[in-house]
Amino acid sequence: MASVDLKGISKRYGAVEVINNLDLTVDEGSFCALLGPSGCGKSTLLRMIAGLEAISEGRAFIGGVDVTNLAPSQRRVAMVFQSYALYPHLTVRDNICFSLSLAGISREIQRAKAAEIAKMLQLEELLDRRPAQLSGGQRQRVAIGRALVRAPEVFLFDEPLSNLDALLRVQMRLELAKLHQNLKTTMIYVTHDQVEAMTLADKIVVLDKGRISQAGAPLELYNSPANKFVASFIGSPAMNFFPGGVKSADASSVTVEMNGGAQIQIRRRHPNSATPSSPLEVGIRPEHISILDSGDKAAITTGTVQIVEQLGNSTIAYVDTPIGPLVVEGDGGIAIAPNDNISLSLDTTRAHMFGADGHVI
Amino acid sequence: MSVTSPLQSPRRRIDVGGALLTVLTAICAALWFFPVYWAIATSLRADDETVTEFSLIPTNPTLANYIFDIENSNLPIWYLNSTIVSVSVTVIAVFMAACTGYAISQLNFPGRKALWLTIMASFMVPVSALIVNHFIIIAGVGLLNSHLGIILPMLLTPVTVIVYKQFFDGLPREFREAAVMDGASELQLLFRVFLPMNWGITTALAIITFIGAWNSFLWPFLAAQDETMMTVTVGITAVQDEFGIAYGRVLAGAVLASLPVALAYLFFQRRVTQAITLSAGIKG
Repeated sequence: MASVDLKGISKRYGAVEVINNLDLTVDEGSFCALLGPSGCGKSTLLRMIAGLEAISEGRAFIGGVDVTNLAPSQRRVAMVFQSYALYPHLTVRDNICFSLSLAGISREIQRAKAAEIAKMLQLEELLDRRPAQLSGGQRQRVAIGRALVRAPEVFLFDEPLSNLDALLRVQMRLELAKLHQNLKTTMIYVTHDQVEAMTLADKIVVLDKGRISQAGAPLELYNSPANKFVASFIGSPAMNFFPGGVKSADASSVTVEMNGGAQIQIRRRHPNSATPSSPLEVGIRPEHISILDSGDKAAITTGTVQIVEQLGNSTIAYVDTPIGPLVVEGDGGIAIAPNDNISLSLDTTRAHMFGADGHVI
Repeated sequence: MSVTSPLQSPRRRIDVGGALLTVLTAICAALWFFPVYWAIATSLRADDETVTEFSLIPTNPTLANYIFDIENSNLPIWYLNSTIVSVSVTVIAVFMAACTGYAISQLNFPGRKALWLTIMASFMVPVSALIVNHFIIIAGVGLLNSHLGIILPMLLTPVTVIVYKQFFDGLPREFREAAVMDGASELQLLFRVFLPMNWGITTALAIITFIGAWNSFLWPFLAAQDETMMTVTVGITAVQDEFGIAYGRVLAGAVLASLPVALAYLFFQRRVTQAITLSAGIKG
């Protein structure tokens, strides 16, 4: 296993800059997820690490070795593609051993390696089958096996679960987590699915328009988003945002007046910074809003329920309030129905404020 | 009371248009096949019966014409020449086309676009327009009346290059990238990944190249003036001259000449159709 260091990396296609002067360190043995919406440059970044895309500017280091100008096969990395890219004319065994075969490794060693990997990935019964005879999950495991056989220092995954159905995705997610626990190899994982990133990674790098919006541990990003983009991208259902005016401010908190006149005090994330200008945007996650009994003194606002989604373990309500439309997530089986008038309280200790530039205050 | 189940199949209606079309197709097929059949039937008649007997089935079928042709002409040598030329053209032309198609589709090199445009343009020029140039060049290098002299100009098969290029263009980028990450060289990529992914295309192109080379007449006719260097298609014209109006022998020669192509088509019918479909989109 090896660390990955990217220093001042840029990627340009003509005048279009896809990755912009990006610095990133992925620690040895860690599981790093590159997360972002389509077109944010996450796959391009992964391909630059793999050597499949030339680096326009900056240097890439793997295990301290400058690999900027090295061929992909010399970087000691292996990649699992979104489409698996299994060679259709080869059996599972030959797919797994393809790189060994290219390297001129003897047939006996290839068979032994294939058997070892097949055992690890529960592919023993499938070694003589061709990819067309496999299910999506099995193909995914073969693709992982093909990467494993090279004993790489770094694994690169390019949205490997996006072609699987929801149930299989959860199962494969678990298998990937186990694989990382067993191998302890550095893994870089591209996804646009924040659930995958949150559950698998020990470090998430959120990309936006070719720049790192925020990088950190999953809960750090969830609880302390650096900006509105990260706050809105991480979490499902997404964070609620509504405008607020600055009523007063001190070194540690700001009192915000929301539409409808209600006031809340929100702790500053950056104490002693300059007094924020009005208006600002308040963000609060659905699970940090509580549904109260009608007339409860603790209520900050009231609203009318529009839609209720009963998910069994939780209840999600879409509520129109004077503050603005809010999504509220409560315990499973809460007895509310569309058109009900309800009272809501906000856990202001968990609320965030974002300035006009989108950065957290 | 009878009840009609919604799952019950409706009564089959007679498709009059379809039936007429089938009959018309059958008539066209019979019209096309009759001369072929008549040639085979005539070749099996005794020499004196070819102009006196008009029954559909020869009354006294004989292989005498075939035996006579084989024993009294250079037919075995022409067969050998045709085999050498057709197999060489097939192997070399398909190999070159695969390499060229791969290079144009997958590699970045200076002049790639110009090369592609040249190949595209070259298949619009009919072979007959180039034949004089070919003759002058081959004569100039002293290769007339040689296998190499017949083979070289027949290696120009732009359509095969175009078919390969389109096939390689259509392959998902990930296959190439996965192989590159596994350490494959360009030659390994072509011969261990891309071509084996669909041997059907190579087989189909090889078959139509072989058939084209075997049937080719104009260039071998000009390049091989020595009777021992003639291919079978050129040689059977000599049979005609040698045997005068011995129709049975002439047609036996023609049947023998077309036999390999007919067999190739019979055995690889599906592949030939695939190849024709592949190249039809290009030829327009």
